[in-house]
Amino acid sequence: MKIKLIRTGGFIPITKMAEVEVNFTDKELVRLIEVIKPDPSAQRIKDGNYYQLNVGTSSTPVDLEKVPEEYNELFSKLKNSMKIVK
Amino acid sequence: MYKNHLNPIHCIIPPYMLSKLIESGNKKVADMAVNSKFRSYRFLSDRNFFRAASFYEKTILGAVPKKPAKSTMQMEVYDCRQTTDLTNATLLWDTKNKQRFNSIAGKNVIKGGKASWDFYRDLFGRNSIDNNGLLIKQYVHYDKGMDNAYWDGRRMVYGDGDGVVFTSFTSDIDVIGHELTHGVTENEANLDYENQTGALNESFSDIFGIMIKQRYNNQDVKKSNWLIGEKVLIGINYALRSLKAPGTGYRNHPELGDDPQPAIMDNYQDMPNTESGDWGGVHINSGIPNFAFYVSAFNIGGYSWEKTGRIWYAVLTDSNLAHDAKFVDVKNMTIQHAERLFGINSLEVKAVKQGWLEAKV
Ligand SMILES: [Zn+2]
Repeated sequence: MKIKLIRTGGFIPITKMAEVEVNFTDKELVRLIEVIKPDPSAQRIKDGNYYQLNVGTSSTPVDLEKVPEEYNELFSKLKNSMKIVK
Repeated sequence: MYKNHLNPIHCIIPPYMLSKLIESGNKKVADMAVNSKFRSYRFLSDRNFFRAASFYEKTILGAVPKKPAKSTMQMEVYDCRQTTDLTNATLLWDTKNKQRFNSIAGKNVIKGGKASWDFYRDLFGRNSIDNNGLLIKQYVHYDKGMDNAYWDGRRMVYGDGDGVVFTSFTSDIDVIGHELTHGVTENEANLDYENQTGALNESFSDIFGIMIKQRYNNQDVKKSNWLIGEKVLIGINYALRSLKAPGTGYRNHPELGDDPQPAIMDNYQDMPNTESGDWGGVHINSGIPNFAFYVSAFNIGGYSWEKTGRIWYAVLTDSNLAHDAKFVDVKNMTIQHAERLFGINSLEVKAVKQGWLEAKV
């Protein structure tokens, strides 16, 4: 399956995006999304960036600080390859 | 001996002793004692009043010293070493030790942080972000090529930029002043970060950011180009925003396209109050109050911080500024404060009214 990482927000609001093909099982994906779910009570960061993960047509906000170690490399690569969506 | 002791300037005699002196039978002593008692009661009630008064009330009464003797800047600068780990960032510099280091970003934030701190202290007697000497914490080299700067509620964080579209977000003093002002706003009206109110929150940061830069560079309203982030966004014709002409910070940029900011209320952008909707376009619609400030400042003339800045600071620190204020509330309050500070029929009041009129608020 293809996963898409999208970044929004910031000092000037721009959208950046990167995608990669992964071989997650559906169960693994659900578990990962559960783990990296942002804290809903978190304060709005002034000029902060926000990330979301898109799989197919569904989209979910994610907190990259919560990414488990075994996924660090994948998410680092994704993040570093993000391009501005024109 | 009596003379010195009864002079309220030299000492305050306890009321019970004064009462005894008044009843002493010596008219001269009684006269002085009554006067002393009267003055000390007035002094005590003044002191009680000022103890209970808000910072804003003290400002109105001119009771806030411009340079409080004890306020000295406290700052720490940390190096995140291209990680997102703020907890384990390395201390580069602090005001106590003034360590030597090589990071240009680190040097930029010391310069910008000090310019911002001085601005608030020298002009408004404000002692740091919280007006209570808060330690200013700044984090540089955050993440790999991060093209952003933010205030997280406690500290300012800056990325190095991707090196292609953006350079370090520490490159412009106005961006540093913008972030520090988010802290000031949070400690004052704590404006909600959504829709019109969020756009006002952003606008206060841009307005104080540009004034901090203008003061640092000694630029009056005519000399300033009124651009925010002119170095941060790479390319001679580009800046992140323009207060003079919102929507022209960048045009036909190969990556970013056109600056989306409106300058007038007719072009207000209704956007979703979500992360991807910029919380209702807080960085977009801030162009409208930004433009009202620019027109006001330009018409008042001189250095923006001297008169126009005073008006906007009085609003920002006014306890009547609600956490969910709208553009029209800030419009009305800037007019009220201009009237109070400069007179109902003053040029300054006319300039502020004209500013909001041109922004069509
Ligand atoms: Zn901001």
